[in-house]
Amino acid sequence: MTATGSPGAVEWDRVNFAYDAIPAVEDVSLSIGRGELAAVLGPNGSGKSTLIKLALGLLRPGSGRVRLFGRDTEDFQDWGRVGYMPQVGSGAWRDFPATVSEIVANGARRRFSPLAVFARSEREDVMAALEVVGMTALRSRRLSELSVGQQQRVLLARALVRDPELLVLDEPAAGVDVAGEERLYAVLRDLNRDRGMTIVIVSHDIGAMLREATTVACLNCKLVRHGPPHDLTRDELSTLYGVPVDVLIHDEHHEFESVLQRHR
Amino acid sequence: MPSIFQYEFMLRALAGGALVGVLAPILGTFVVLRRYSLIADTLAHVALMGVAIGMASQFLPALTALTAAVLGAVVVEQLRARGRLPGDAALAVVLYGSLSIAIVVISAAGGFNVDLFSFLFGSILSVSPLDLWLLAGLTAGVVIFVAVFYVDLAQLAFDEELAKVSGVRTDMLNLVLAVLTGATITMSMRVVGVLLIGALLVIPVLTGLHSARGLRVAMGVAVATGLLSAGAGLTIAFYGDYSAGGSIVITALVLLLLARIWSTSKGWVRAVRRRRAE
Repeated sequence: MTATGSPGAVEWDRVNFAYDAIPAVEDVSLSIGRGELAAVLGPNGSGKSTLIKLALGLLRPGSGRVRLFGRDTEDFQDWGRVGYMPQVGSGAWRDFPATVSEIVANGARRRFSPLAVFARSEREDVMAALEVVGMTALRSRRLSELSVGQQQRVLLARALVRDPELLVLDEPAAGVDVAGEERLYAVLRDLNRDRGMTIVIVSHDIGAMLREATTVACLNCKLVRHGPPHDLTRDELSTLYGVPVDVLIHDEHHEFESVLQRHR
Repeated sequence: MPSIFQYEFMLRALAGGALVGVLAPILGTFVVLRRYSLIADTLAHVALMGVAIGMASQFLPALTALTAAVLGAVVVEQLRARGRLPGDAALAVVLYGSLSIAIVVISAAGGFNVDLFSFLFGSILSVSPLDLWLLAGLTAGVVIFVAVFYVDLAQLAFDEELAKVSGVRTDMLNLVLAVLTGATITMSMRVVGVLLIGALLVIPVLTGLHSARGLRVAMGVAVATGLLSAGAGLTIAFYGDYSAGGSIVITALVLLLLARIWSTSKGWVRAVRRRRAE
């Protein structure tokens, strides 16, 4: 529950999960309130993606409860309220023949149609989602003909076409160039601030997350810290990643901006 | 020269070939895209085990084959879904397990006979009106299933985890697909034969994937290729007195080769034009 008493968008309540007896998530209790732009940070193998998969019902917790909009994920049916953008690997969907507009159209909220196979894919909602991510011009291309960064944008459009209340992104900027990264975060910022969309991002991009997120959860199998990004200290980050991390903060374009320099 | 259409058995074979030519590539599209092509060969060997058991027990081999293929499909899907074995290893275990049982049953029953060969390699003479009705019913069922659940199937083929988060019942859909694939293989045995039916689930689909833009168009091209392969293959088999299944699959392979040549030459032409424009 949040401070207002209404259920959060996602809640993990004393959750444990292990892969073949190797713990990945240990006793995590965390609530992400509606309207937050929450970042989940942590080193490799810290359980970030596992935590997200538990929230999306892709994994079942060994113990504890995971709730989406106040409902246990096992009973949750209203998946139209949730958008998910997985990480794109290089070479993924190499031979998949679907066009960009087909991929996005298939992500729309499910409704029964006896002739779904004949439904048009270049509809208004699909075009609007492609417009948001700037991919309208490439709508007739095969997904396999696009770069990783462009594929990421298509997957974001696929998640947005259902107009979700909660958007979950796993490493959205992996393999994306600096300009693409800035465009991606600008879109997410607008969705969060203008539409009030709850956004949860798993990322290794510490600088961008401290700049964009409203709350940051630091995970290392256990929840190390959860709170506003500006409270996060250099020592906490250094302990989390196991290497010295410097934090430089200055105000220019945003309320604050952090640039982290990692020294090995 | 006798006309292919003057013999009733050939008309039945052509009708059967056309139905298999439509049915196999429709299901095959989702099988290939899920990188599960080997399931066709696996279930074909399970069906062969069913045929052997049916012949040895003097029960209807087609019925025992259908039962075995459907049960085999359920077992394969359960092994895959529970992650007890990697997908390809699960298929290999079921394939070799059923093939070894089939060989033992056949040897115990006194060895191969002509009827068994007709299941192995297909026999256009043995396609009965009942086979055709069953095949037509299955084709209608598959077409309706794919038309209604197209979006869910497309999502499943694209990314199973994404499909789950979209609310798609992936477990049910995977099971239905596996069972329909098992039924398709069994029903198509008379036309193409157990050993080659897997090829019709895969090769026309590859032709579609090479030459089309868009999933629906690719499926349409695959079905057209399947139909053309069946029609041309049966005609070649009739006039050349060759095996029907072998002729159909060779025709499908030639069409795949032509599609590859066409898409490669299109790429060259585009590259030359681009160079000239520069």
